[in-house]
Amino acid sequence: MTAARVALPTDYGPLVSELHRRAATRRQPVNGTFELTERCNLTCQMCYVRQAAGDQAVRTKELSTPEWLELARQAVDHGMVFLLLTGGEVFLRPDFFEIYTPLTRLGLILTLFTNGTLITEARAARLAEAPPSRTEITLYGATATTYEAVTGVPGSYARCCAGIEALVKHRVPLGLKTTITRHNVGELDAMRQMAHDWGLPFSAGWLLSQRRDGAPSEAAACRLSAAECVALEATDRASATEWTETALREASLGPDRNFYCQAGQAAFVVNPRGEMNACIDLPLPAARPLETGFRAAWEQVQRFVDTAPPLAPSCLACDARAYCPRCPAWSALETDTLTEPVPYLCEIAQARKGRYGQPA
Amino acid sequence: MKRKTDFIMQNVAGENLLVPLGARMMDLNGLITLNDTAACVWELLAQERTLVELASAVAERFDVTPELARDDVQTFMDEIAKMGLLES
Repeated sequence: MTAARVALPTDYGPLVSELHRRAATRRQPVNGTFELTERCNLTCQMCYVRQAAGDQAVRTKELSTPEWLELARQAVDHGMVFLLLTGGEVFLRPDFFEIYTPLTRLGLILTLFTNGTLITEARAARLAEAPPSRTEITLYGATATTYEAVTGVPGSYARCCAGIEALVKHRVPLGLKTTITRHNVGELDAMRQMAHDWGLPFSAGWLLSQRRDGAPSEAAACRLSAAECVALEATDRASATEWTETALREASLGPDRNFYCQAGQAAFVVNPRGEMNACIDLPLPAARPLETGFRAAWEQVQRFVDTAPPLAPSCLACDARAYCPRCPAWSALETDTLTEPVPYLCEIAQARKGRYGQPA
Repeated sequence: MKRKTDFIMQNVAGENLLVPLGARMMDLNGLITLNDTAACVWELLAQERTLVELASAVAERFDVTPELARDDVQTFMDEIAKMGLLES
Protein backbone atom coordinates (compact mmCIF):
# COMPACT_ATOMS: atom_id res chain seq x y z
CA MET A 1 0.00 0.00 0.00
CA THR A 2 1.67 3.16 -1.13
CA ALA A 3 -1.06 5.73 -1.42
CA ALA A 4 0.06 9.03 -0.01
CA ARG A 5 -2.91 10.63 1.63
CA VAL A 6 -3.77 13.53 3.80
CA ALA A 7 -6.78 13.39 6.03
CA LEU A 8 -8.19 16.63 7.31
CA PRO A 9 -10.56 15.57 10.02
CA THR A 10 -14.00 17.03 9.86
CA ASP A 11 -14.67 15.66 13.32
CA TYR A 12 -11.69 16.67 15.39
CA GLY A 13 -12.97 15.36 18.74
CA PRO A 14 -13.33 11.66 17.89
CA LEU A 15 -9.88 11.64 16.25
CA VAL A 16 -8.31 13.14 19.36
CA SER A 17 -10.09 10.60 21.56
CA GLU A 18 -8.85 7.77 19.40
CA LEU A 19 -5.29 9.12 19.50
CA HIS A 20 -5.45 9.27 23.28
CA ARG A 21 -6.78 5.74 23.49
CA ARG A 22 -3.96 4.46 21.32
CA ALA A 23 -1.34 6.48 23.20
CA ALA A 24 -2.58 4.94 26.46
CA THR A 25 -1.93 1.44 25.15
CA ARG A 26 1.70 2.46 24.60
CA ARG A 27 1.94 4.60 27.73
CA GLN A 28 2.95 7.59 25.64
CA PRO A 29 2.52 10.76 27.74
CA VAL A 30 0.75 12.49 24.90
CA ASN A 31 -1.40 14.75 27.06
CA GLY A 32 0.17 17.18 29.51
CA THR A 33 -1.28 19.81 31.80
CA PHE A 34 0.88 22.62 33.15
CA GLU A 35 -0.78 24.32 36.07
CA LEU A 36 1.18 27.57 35.91
CA THR A 37 -0.15 28.97 39.18
CA GLU A 38 -2.66 28.19 41.90
CA ARG A 39 -3.23 31.90 42.48
CA CYS A 40 -6.36 33.57 41.17
CA ASN A 41 -7.76 37.09 41.07
CA LEU A 42 -11.26 35.71 41.73
CA THR A 43 -12.37 34.17 45.02
CA CYS A 44 -15.04 31.67 43.98
CA GLN A 45 -16.39 29.90 47.05
CA MET A 46 -16.61 26.50 45.39
CA CYS A 47 -13.15 26.48 43.77
CA TYR A 48 -10.91 23.45 44.41
CA VAL A 49 -7.69 25.54 44.15
CA ARG A 50 -8.20 29.18 45.13
CA GLN A 51 -4.97 30.70 46.39
CA ALA A 52 -4.91 34.47 46.77
CA ALA A 53 -3.56 36.46 43.82
CA GLY A 54 -1.08 38.33 45.96
CA ASP A 55 0.13 35.42 48.09
CA GLN A 56 3.91 35.83 47.84
CA ALA A 57 4.64 32.62 49.74
CA VAL A 58 2.72 30.66 47.11
CA ARG A 59 4.19 32.68 44.26
CA THR A 60 7.80 32.09 45.24
CA LYS A 61 7.31 28.33 45.00
CA GLU A 62 6.09 28.51 41.39
CA LEU A 63 8.40 27.24 38.65
CA SER A 64 10.26 29.92 36.72
CA THR A 65 9.97 30.57 32.99
CA PRO A 66 13.11 28.55 32.11
CA GLU A 67 11.92 25.66 34.28
CA TRP A 68 8.55 25.45 32.53
CA LEU A 69 10.24 25.59 29.14
CA GLU A 70 12.77 22.92 30.08
CA LEU A 71 9.93 20.73 31.29
CA ALA A 72 8.06 21.27 28.03
CA ARG A 73 11.08 20.36 25.94
CA GLN A 74 11.61 17.15 27.89
CA ALA A 75 7.91 16.28 27.68
CA VAL A 76 7.87 16.81 23.91
CA ASP A 77 10.93 14.57 23.61
CA HIS A 78 8.93 11.86 25.36
CA GLY A 79 5.84 12.23 23.19
CA MET A 80 3.71 15.07 24.54
CA VAL A 81 1.62 16.61 21.77
CA PHE A 82 -1.40 18.05 23.61
CA LEU A 83 -0.72 20.62 26.33
CA LEU A 84 -3.21 22.45 28.54
CA LEU A 85 -2.09 25.62 30.33
CA THR A 86 -4.26 26.34 33.32
CA GLY A 87 -4.34 27.82 36.83
CA GLY A 88 -5.40 29.45 39.06
CA GLU A 89 -5.46 32.29 36.60
CA VAL A 90 -2.63 32.00 34.10
CA PHE A 91 -2.56 35.71 33.26
CA LEU A 92 -1.56 36.52 36.83
CA ARG A 93 1.91 35.43 35.80
CA PRO A 94 3.68 38.48 34.40
CA ASP A 95 5.86 36.11 32.37
CA PHE A 96 2.89 34.34 30.76
CA PHE A 97 3.90 35.18 27.19
CA GLU A 98 7.55 34.36 27.89
CA ILE A 99 6.31 30.83 28.62
CA TYR A 100 3.52 30.68 26.05
CA THR A 101 5.23 32.02 22.94
CA PRO A 102 8.10 29.50 22.86
CA LEU A 103 5.57 26.71 23.43
CA THR A 104 3.82 27.67 20.19
CA ARG A 105 7.03 26.73 18.31
CA LEU A 106 7.33 23.21 19.74
CA GLY A 107 4.64 21.53 17.64
CA LEU A 108 2.12 21.34 20.47
CA ILE A 109 -1.64 21.47 20.26
CA LEU A 110 -2.23 24.03 22.98
CA THR A 111 -5.30 24.68 25.09
CA LEU A 112 -5.64 27.62 27.45
CA PHE A 113 -8.01 27.88 30.43
CA THR A 114 -8.63 31.34 31.86
CA ASN A 115 -11.35 33.28 33.62
CA GLY A 116 -10.99 35.99 30.99
CA THR A 117 -10.95 38.91 33.41
CA LEU A 118 -7.31 39.81 32.73
CA ILE A 119 -7.52 39.55 28.95
CA THR A 120 -6.98 43.01 27.60
CA GLU A 121 -7.07 44.13 24.00
CA ALA A 122 -3.27 43.90 23.89
CA ARG A 123 -3.18 40.38 25.33
CA ALA A 124 -5.86 39.20 22.90
CA ALA A 125 -3.89 40.65 19.99
CA ARG A 126 -0.74 38.94 21.21
CA LEU A 127 -2.51 35.60 21.57
CA ALA A 128 -3.83 35.98 18.02
CA GLU A 129 -0.26 36.15 16.72
CA ALA A 130 0.09 32.45 17.58
CA PRO A 131 -3.23 31.34 19.01
CA PRO A 132 -3.88 28.23 21.04
CA SER A 133 -5.92 25.53 19.36
CA ARG A 134 -8.60 26.30 21.93
CA THR A 135 -9.21 28.80 24.72
CA GLU A 136 -11.86 28.18 27.35
CA ILE A 137 -13.34 30.84 29.59
CA THR A 138 -15.58 29.99 32.53
CA LEU A 139 -18.67 32.13 32.99
CA TYR A 140 -20.09 32.31 36.50
CA GLY A 141 -23.34 34.04 35.68
CA ALA A 142 -25.25 35.95 33.03
CA THR A 143 -25.58 39.11 35.12
CA ALA A 144 -23.06 41.09 37.12
CA THR A 145 -25.02 40.45 40.31
CA THR A 146 -24.91 36.67 40.02
CA TYR A 147 -21.44 36.43 38.49
CA GLU A 148 -19.92 38.57 41.22
CA ALA A 149 -21.87 36.79 43.97
CA VAL A 150 -19.93 33.68 42.88
CA THR A 151 -16.55 35.27 42.20
CA GLY A 152 -16.64 37.71 45.11
CA VAL A 153 -14.97 40.44 43.04
CA PRO A 154 -16.82 43.64 42.07
CA GLY A 155 -16.31 44.54 38.42
CA SER A 156 -15.22 41.05 37.43
CA TYR A 157 -18.28 40.40 35.24
CA ALA A 158 -17.60 43.40 33.01
CA ARG A 159 -13.92 42.50 32.76
CA CYS A 160 -14.77 38.92 31.81
CA CYS A 161 -17.16 40.10 29.09
CA ALA A 162 -14.52 42.53 27.80
CA GLY A 163 -11.99 39.68 27.68
CA ILE A 164 -14.40 37.52 25.69
CA GLU A 165 -15.12 40.39 23.31
CA ALA A 166 -11.41 40.97 22.76
CA LEU A 167 -10.73 37.31 21.96
CA VAL A 168 -13.73 37.16 19.61
CA LYS A 169 -12.57 40.33 17.88
CA HIS A 170 -9.11 38.88 17.32
CA ARG A 171 -10.50 35.50 16.21
CA VAL A 172 -8.72 33.52 18.92
CA PRO A 173 -10.39 30.06 19.08
CA LEU A 174 -12.68 30.27 22.08
CA GLY A 175 -15.34 28.33 23.92
CA LEU A 176 -17.33 29.25 27.01
CA LYS A 177 -18.23 26.99 29.89
CA THR A 178 -19.75 27.38 33.28
CA THR A 179 -19.49 25.86 36.70
CA ILE A 180 -23.02 25.57 38.02
CA THR A 181 -23.67 26.30 41.68
CA ARG A 182 -26.79 27.00 43.74
CA HIS A 183 -26.16 30.69 43.09
CA ASN A 184 -26.09 30.69 39.30
CA VAL A 185 -28.14 27.67 38.24
CA GLY A 186 -31.05 29.98 37.48
CA GLU A 187 -28.97 31.72 34.80
CA LEU A 188 -27.81 28.62 32.94
CA ASP A 189 -30.10 29.26 29.98
CA ALA A 190 -29.11 32.92 29.89
CA MET A 191 -25.41 31.98 29.86
CA ARG A 192 -26.05 29.54 27.04
CA GLN A 193 -27.76 32.37 25.17
CA MET A 194 -24.77 34.68 25.76
CA ALA A 195 -22.47 32.11 24.19
CA HIS A 196 -24.88 31.69 21.29
CA ASP A 197 -24.98 35.45 20.74
CA TRP A 198 -21.18 35.54 20.54
CA GLY A 199 -21.23 32.52 18.22
CA LEU A 200 -19.28 30.44 20.72
CA PRO A 201 -19.64 26.83 21.88
CA PHE A 202 -20.84 26.36 25.44
CA SER A 203 -20.72 23.60 28.01
CA ALA A 204 -21.64 23.30 31.68
CA GLY A 205 -20.37 21.31 34.63
CA TRP A 206 -21.85 20.99 38.08
CA LEU A 207 -19.94 18.37 40.07
CA LEU A 208 -18.19 20.43 42.74
CA SER A 209 -15.44 18.81 44.77
CA GLN A 210 -13.72 19.85 47.98
CA ARG A 211 -10.45 21.78 47.95
CA ARG A 212 -7.39 19.89 46.80
CA ASP A 213 -5.20 21.18 49.62
CA GLY A 214 -7.65 20.01 52.29
CA ALA A 215 -8.45 23.57 53.41
CA PRO A 216 -12.05 24.30 54.45
CA SER A 217 -14.31 24.64 51.44
CA GLU A 218 -17.81 25.87 50.77
CA ALA A 219 -18.20 23.44 47.85
CA ALA A 220 -20.75 21.31 49.69
CA ALA A 221 -22.95 24.33 50.35
CA CYS A 222 -22.68 25.43 46.71
CA ARG A 223 -23.55 22.03 45.23
CA LEU A 224 -26.80 21.10 43.62
CA SER A 225 -28.51 18.10 45.18
CA ALA A 226 -28.05 14.76 43.44
CA ALA A 227 -31.61 14.92 42.12
CA GLU A 228 -31.02 18.44 40.78
CA CYS A 229 -27.80 17.34 39.07
CA VAL A 230 -29.48 14.44 37.32
CA ALA A 231 -32.47 16.55 36.30
CA LEU A 232 -30.09 19.17 34.91
CA GLU A 233 -27.93 16.76 32.96
CA ALA A 234 -31.06 15.25 31.42
CA THR A 235 -31.50 18.58 29.63
CA ASP A 236 -28.14 18.01 27.95
CA ARG A 237 -28.58 15.70 24.99
CA ALA A 238 -25.07 14.23 25.13
CA SER A 239 -25.35 13.33 28.82
CA ALA A 240 -28.83 11.90 28.47
CA THR A 241 -27.70 9.77 25.54
CA GLU A 242 -24.66 8.58 27.48
CA TRP A 243 -26.70 7.41 30.45
CA THR A 244 -29.42 5.87 28.30
CA GLU A 245 -26.74 3.84 26.54
CA THR A 246 -25.19 2.97 29.89
CA ALA A 247 -28.53 1.59 30.99
CA LEU A 248 -28.65 -0.65 27.94
CA ARG A 249 -25.29 -2.22 28.78
CA GLU A 250 -25.71 -2.12 32.51
CA ALA A 251 -24.75 -5.76 32.82
CA SER A 252 -21.15 -4.78 32.07
CA LEU A 253 -21.27 -2.64 35.21
CA GLY A 254 -18.46 -0.21 34.54
CA PRO A 255 -14.78 -0.04 35.27
CA ASP A 256 -13.15 -2.61 37.52
CA ARG A 257 -9.90 -0.68 37.69
CA ASN A 258 -9.63 2.13 40.18
CA PHE A 259 -7.98 4.52 37.68
CA TYR A 260 -10.05 4.16 34.51
CA CYS A 261 -9.29 7.41 32.65
CA GLN A 262 -6.16 8.54 30.79
CA ALA A 263 -4.41 9.62 34.02
CA GLY A 264 -1.06 7.88 34.20
CA GLN A 265 -1.86 6.04 30.96
CA ALA A 266 -1.39 8.87 28.47
CA ALA A 267 -1.88 11.96 30.65
CA PHE A 268 0.00 13.76 33.38
CA VAL A 269 -0.16 17.06 35.25
CA VAL A 270 2.61 19.26 36.56
CA ASN A 271 1.58 21.57 39.38
CA PRO A 272 3.05 25.06 39.96
CA ARG A 273 5.77 23.66 42.23
CA GLY A 274 6.99 21.29 39.51
CA GLU A 275 5.48 18.10 40.91
CA MET A 276 4.20 15.62 38.34
CA ASN A 277 0.92 13.94 39.24
CA ALA A 278 -1.56 11.65 37.58
CA CYS A 279 -4.45 14.10 37.75
CA ILE A 280 -5.04 17.76 38.49
CA ASP A 281 -7.38 16.89 41.34
CA LEU A 282 -4.99 14.43 42.96
CA PRO A 283 -1.58 15.68 44.17
CA LEU A 284 0.07 12.27 43.89
CA PRO A 285 2.63 10.81 43.41
CA ALA A 286 4.39 14.22 43.38
CA ALA A 287 7.23 13.06 41.13
CA ARG A 288 9.98 15.61 40.44
CA PRO A 289 10.74 15.70 36.69
CA LEU A 290 13.14 18.62 36.89
CA GLU A 291 15.25 16.71 39.40
CA THR A 292 14.94 13.12 38.19
CA GLY A 293 14.34 13.76 34.49
CA PHE A 294 11.01 13.47 32.71
CA ARG A 295 11.24 9.75 31.99
CA ALA A 296 11.78 8.74 35.61
CA ALA A 297 8.96 11.01 36.76
CA TRP A 298 6.55 9.65 34.14
CA GLU A 299 7.46 6.10 35.14
CA GLN A 300 6.74 7.00 38.77
CA VAL A 301 3.30 8.31 37.78
CA GLN A 302 2.60 5.11 35.84
CA ARG A 303 3.65 2.97 38.81
CA PHE A 304 1.41 4.97 41.11
CA VAL A 305 -1.60 4.37 38.86
CA ASP A 306 -0.76 0.73 38.20
CA THR A 307 -0.37 -0.12 41.88
CA ALA A 308 -3.37 1.84 43.14
CA PRO A 309 -5.59 -0.15 45.50
CA PRO A 310 -8.65 -1.77 43.97
CA LEU A 311 -12.17 -0.46 44.24
CA ALA A 312 -13.81 -0.70 47.66
CA PRO A 313 -15.94 -3.84 48.07
CA SER A 314 -19.03 -1.70 48.53
CA CYS A 315 -18.38 -0.03 45.16
CA LEU A 316 -17.78 -3.38 43.44
CA ALA A 317 -21.06 -4.65 44.83
CA CYS A 318 -23.02 -1.49 43.99
CA ASP A 319 -25.81 -1.94 41.44
CA ALA A 320 -25.42 1.67 40.25
CA ARG A 321 -21.68 1.48 39.61
CA ALA A 322 -22.07 1.93 35.86
CA TYR A 323 -23.62 5.36 36.52
CA CYS A 324 -21.04 6.52 39.06
CA PRO A 325 -18.46 9.25 38.36
CA ARG A 326 -16.30 8.34 41.37
CA CYS A 327 -12.59 8.01 40.73
CA PRO A 328 -9.52 7.96 43.00
CA ALA A 329 -9.28 11.75 42.84
CA TRP A 330 -12.85 12.17 44.06
CA SER A 331 -12.22 9.68 46.86
CA ALA A 332 -9.05 11.53 47.83
CA LEU A 333 -10.80 14.91 47.86
CA GLU A 334 -13.84 13.73 49.81
CA THR A 335 -12.64 10.81 51.94
CA ASP A 336 -8.86 11.16 52.11
CA THR A 337 -8.49 7.67 50.61
CA LEU A 338 -8.08 6.47 47.02
CA THR A 339 -10.91 4.01 47.22
CA GLU A 340 -13.78 4.85 49.51
CA PRO A 341 -17.25 5.70 48.17
CA VAL A 342 -18.18 9.37 47.98
CA PRO A 343 -21.71 9.69 49.41
CA TYR A 344 -22.65 12.62 47.14
CA LEU A 345 -21.64 10.61 44.06
CA CYS A 346 -23.43 7.52 45.39
CA GLU A 347 -26.62 9.59 45.46
CA ILE A 348 -26.02 10.81 41.91
CA ALA A 349 -25.35 7.27 40.64
CA GLN A 350 -28.55 6.01 42.25
CA ALA A 351 -30.54 8.94 40.86
CA ARG A 352 -29.19 8.23 37.37
CA LYS A 353 -30.04 4.56 37.70
CA GLY A 354 -33.51 5.53 38.82
CA ARG A 355 -33.96 7.77 35.80
CA TYR A 356 -32.32 5.70 33.06
CA GLY A 357 -32.13 2.15 34.43
CA GLN A 358 -34.08 -0.74 33.01
CA PRO A 359 -36.98 -1.99 35.15
CA ALA A 360 -36.08 -5.17 37.04
CA MET B 1 9.32 21.47 -4.45
CA LYS B 2 9.86 22.02 -0.76
CA ARG B 3 7.59 22.13 2.24
CA LYS B 4 6.96 25.17 4.36
CA THR B 5 8.55 25.23 7.77
CA ASP B 6 5.53 26.21 9.82
CA PHE B 7 4.41 22.66 10.52
CA ILE B 8 5.99 19.98 12.68
CA MET B 9 5.31 16.28 12.27
CA GLN B 10 4.52 14.53 15.56
CA ASN B 11 3.90 10.87 16.25
CA VAL B 12 1.06 9.75 18.48
CA ALA B 13 1.00 6.01 19.00
CA GLY B 14 2.17 5.39 15.45
CA GLU B 15 -0.06 8.03 13.86
CA ASN B 16 1.75 10.85 12.06
CA LEU B 17 0.28 14.28 12.76
CA LEU B 18 1.14 17.60 11.18
CA VAL B 19 0.82 20.29 13.81
CA PRO B 20 0.72 23.93 12.69
CA LEU B 21 3.13 26.33 14.34
CA GLY B 22 2.49 29.85 15.54
CA ALA B 23 0.12 31.87 13.40
CA ARG B 24 -0.61 28.91 11.13
CA MET B 25 -2.93 27.60 13.82
CA MET B 26 -5.32 30.36 12.79
CA ASP B 27 -5.46 29.08 9.19
CA LEU B 28 -5.82 25.42 9.98
CA ASN B 29 -7.28 24.66 13.36
CA GLY B 30 -7.40 20.91 12.99
CA LEU B 31 -5.23 17.88 12.59
CA ILE B 32 -3.65 16.57 9.43
CA THR B 33 -2.81 12.90 9.59
CA LEU B 34 -0.32 11.32 7.23
CA ASN B 35 0.07 7.67 6.39
CA ASP B 36 3.59 6.24 6.35
CA THR B 37 4.16 6.98 2.68
CA ALA B 38 3.00 10.55 3.05
CA ALA B 39 5.14 10.96 6.16
CA CYS B 40 8.15 9.72 4.19
CA VAL B 41 7.50 12.25 1.43
CA TRP B 42 6.96 15.01 4.00
CA GLU B 43 10.36 14.30 5.55
CA LEU B 44 12.03 14.35 2.13
CA LEU B 45 10.41 17.69 1.36
CA ALA B 46 12.53 19.35 4.01
CA GLN B 47 14.84 19.93 1.05
CA GLU B 48 14.04 20.93 -2.52
CA ARG B 49 12.91 17.78 -4.40
CA THR B 50 11.59 16.88 -7.81
CA LEU B 51 8.64 14.59 -8.40
CA VAL B 52 11.01 12.03 -9.88
CA GLU B 53 13.22 12.06 -6.81
CA LEU B 54 10.28 11.66 -4.47
CA ALA B 55 8.72 8.86 -6.51
CA SER B 56 12.01 7.05 -6.72
CA ALA B 57 12.49 7.22 -2.95
CA VAL B 58 8.97 5.98 -2.30
CA ALA B 59 9.32 3.14 -4.82
CA GLU B 60 12.50 2.01 -3.13
CA ARG B 61 11.29 2.42 0.46
CA PHE B 62 7.90 0.76 -0.05
CA ASP B 63 8.84 -1.76 -2.74
CA VAL B 64 6.34 -0.64 -5.40
CA THR B 65 6.60 0.19 -9.07
CA PRO B 66 7.86 3.66 -10.00
CA GLU B 67 4.59 4.35 -11.86
CA LEU B 68 2.44 3.63 -8.82
CA ALA B 69 4.79 5.58 -6.56
CA ARG B 70 4.65 8.60 -8.88
CA ASP B 71 0.85 8.57 -8.93
CA ASP B 72 0.69 8.40 -5.16
CA VAL B 73 3.25 11.13 -4.65
CA GLN B 74 1.50 13.36 -7.18
CA THR B 75 -1.81 12.90 -5.36
CA PHE B 76 -0.22 13.80 -2.05
CA MET B 77 1.57 16.81 -3.49
CA ASP B 78 -1.68 18.08 -5.00
CA GLU B 79 -3.41 17.79 -1.63
CA ILE B 80 -0.76 19.57 0.41
CA ALA B 81 -0.39 22.24 -2.28
CA LYS B 82 -4.11 22.95 -1.92
CA MET B 83 -3.59 23.33 1.82
CA GLY B 84 -0.78 25.78 1.25
CA LEU B 85 1.88 23.57 2.80
CA LEU B 86 4.39 23.91 -0.06
CA GLU B 87 6.77 26.75 -0.77
CA SER B 88 5.54 28.59 -3.83
